[in-house]
Amino acid sequence: MKNPENNRSTASFARDYTKTVGDILAQNPRIVCRDVDVFYGEKHAIQNVSLDIGRNDVIALIGPSGCGKSTFIRCLNRMNDTIVGCRVRGEILVDGQDIYGEGMDVVPLRAQVGMVFQKPNPFPKSIFENVAYGPRIHGLAAGKLEMEEIVETSLRRAGLWDEVKDYLHHPGTSLSGGQQQRLCIARTIAVSPEVILMDEPCSALDPIATAKIEQLIDELREHFTIVIVTHSMQQAARVSQRTAYFHLGKLIEVGETAQIFTNPRHQLTEDYITGRFG
Amino acid sequence: MSSSNEAGKPGAPGHRSLDSVRAGLSRRRWAEIRFRFYGMVSLAMGLLFLLIMFTSIIAKAYTAFQQTYIALDVHFDEQLLDPEGKRDPVTLDTADYGALVRQSLGLLFPEYKDRQQKRALNNLVSSDATYELRRLLLAKPDLMGNTNRIWLLADDDVDMFAKGQIDRLGAEADRRLKDYQIAWLDKLQEEGRLEKRFNTKFFTAGDSREPELAGIRGAVVGSFLTLVVTLVLSLPIGFATAVYLEEFAPSNRWTDLIEVNINNLAAVPSIVFGLLGLAVFINFFGLPRSSPLVGGLVLTLMTLPVIIIAGRSALKSVPPSIREAALGVGASHMQTVFHHVFPLAIPGMLTGAIIGMARALGESAPLLMIGMVAFIVDIPSSINTPATVLPVQIYLWADSPERGFVERTSAAILVLLVFLIVMNGLAVYLRKRYEKRW
Repeated sequence: MKNPENNRSTASFARDYTKTVGDILAQNPRIVCRDVDVFYGEKHAIQNVSLDIGRNDVIALIGPSGCGKSTFIRCLNRMNDTIVGCRVRGEILVDGQDIYGEGMDVVPLRAQVGMVFQKPNPFPKSIFENVAYGPRIHGLAAGKLEMEEIVETSLRRAGLWDEVKDYLHHPGTSLSGGQQQRLCIARTIAVSPEVILMDEPCSALDPIATAKIEQLIDELREHFTIVIVTHSMQQAARVSQRTAYFHLGKLIEVGETAQIFTNPRHQLTEDYITGRFG
Repeated sequence: MSSSNEAGKPGAPGHRSLDSVRAGLSRRRWAEIRFRFYGMVSLAMGLLFLLIMFTSIIAKAYTAFQQTYIALDVHFDEQLLDPEGKRDPVTLDTADYGALVRQSLGLLFPEYKDRQQKRALNNLVSSDATYELRRLLLAKPDLMGNTNRIWLLADDDVDMFAKGQIDRLGAEADRRLKDYQIAWLDKLQEEGRLEKRFNTKFFTAGDSREPELAGIRGAVVGSFLTLVVTLVLSLPIGFATAVYLEEFAPSNRWTDLIEVNINNLAAVPSIVFGLLGLAVFINFFGLPRSSPLVGGLVLTLMTLPVIIIAGRSALKSVPPSIREAALGVGASHMQTVFHHVFPLAIPGMLTGAIIGMARALGESAPLLMIGMVAFIVDIPSSINTPATVLPVQIYLWADSPERGFVERTSAAILVLLVFLIVMNGLAVYLRKRYEKRW
């Protein structure tokens, strides 16, 4: 085994802050991160994180506020590029290609690794235009009919079609919060990415809308690899197969979701999931 | 246990704090009432001054929209105009039409005594009357030999008298009109030969030394041409600069320096831009002085900082979530800016641009420096011909001694204010119309 932590007895909690507990490896990984460090100016926001993300897997990133899980997820499609003073060190491979390597263009990368944000952020345009924008700039549809097909398929997959099919030309901003978030998911999957990053997608939504999104994530797993950042441990337990626990910029523990929540191996993970801090 | 008892007792910490809150309540309420009162007083002051300004301008200006005309029975005397009867255009063009006016006036008032009174009589109508008669005859040659009642422009002194600006009870030496002139005018009035009509000349003529002939058309066209030059130059340059600085420029010491300088330029007195324009555009590049081209260039320099600053703040106010959304689906930086950020910022940017334009429209000091203060009668035909602009025209008329220019100055101010209100209204409309909510 590559990671020596796996061999340790589970009877005693690991207290080592420098090494990740659990199996960072995944079979048939889509994304491979090795020794990733992120700096905001002088601040060392992510320290030495290594993690594999498996194909058609849902991995949940949990941890207290400011632990770096959002920063980490934003490295995966280089959204951190827009932040002045942000530097990334280490290796992140998406389908074997180093995304921080020389000559890497962020445009195809972001088409490959889509993102759904914390706050629903539809464009102030019609519902149709919101979904059609990505395919249009990437030239994915040959004609009007094909575009309509892409829009319909994406909205169907996002579970929004039946609700909006008669209002496609109404502004996207007129929808409810939950609908807007599903519209943003439809917009993301319209460019057929391989990976969808979700940065706390339900934190601005009510429980019913949240339940719909969670159900949707489960369905999307069939086609996409999903990385979800969440503050809700119940949500992580419900939607993910693997869970990674971050603490102060370090990846503390990673493992099967069931194992993390029933039998955490690191003291900090145990403290967090039992609600001793958070 | 003990803590709950303590809190229940009067004088315990809990009670005291509630009492002190109550004690302070009326003071706080009074502070609010006082503040509202101050606000309303200052608002009322502002409105009062605005009201005073508008009533004084309108009260002085409204008479300028009317002009006094005198009806004369003009006999187009063939002997006088075209003795040879050939209807030669040159002869007709150079004939003495002034004699027709003098003849008609002499027939009406044969009682004048001396040369001085004769001149005074002829001065009742505007010096334009002779040209008016020529225009009429050239347009309708069959007037020749006939006698027609023709309404001719009255002189500005007559106009002022008809509008009550000359006190007939005052001492004769203090008046621009002598007693006998007033007597003539009274007679004209009795015969229905004195009439006030809508002053079309004010809107169709260029500047003139004679108030009754002076109009704002030249200044309006000059202002329009100058603003077109300003708009065509400052809008694309300003928007491009704002978009580049806000969205593309790397943030380093150079861009900081540029930003500080743009902010400083916005505060530079406008006359300095006029001196710059004089030195650079006229003396160095040799562009024609007094021209809307140079005026527009100078005003462009002046409005650019305003447009850039307003444009940058409009771009900055586009929520970052929209940028992230566009970048998240794989739009390039350029696509993000031009598909999403810029369209959302346009209402704000346009508002800034229109307010900058309105400021340029009202600007006079820098244009004085580049010669747009010249006395220009012709209506400018292109951006290279000498012109003046509305605010400078106002300045010129305000400086003129004739009484007739007082009301025209106010009327020109009114026209300028109307343009400014329209432009600001347009800015508000654009903001309301295209503002998107998210």
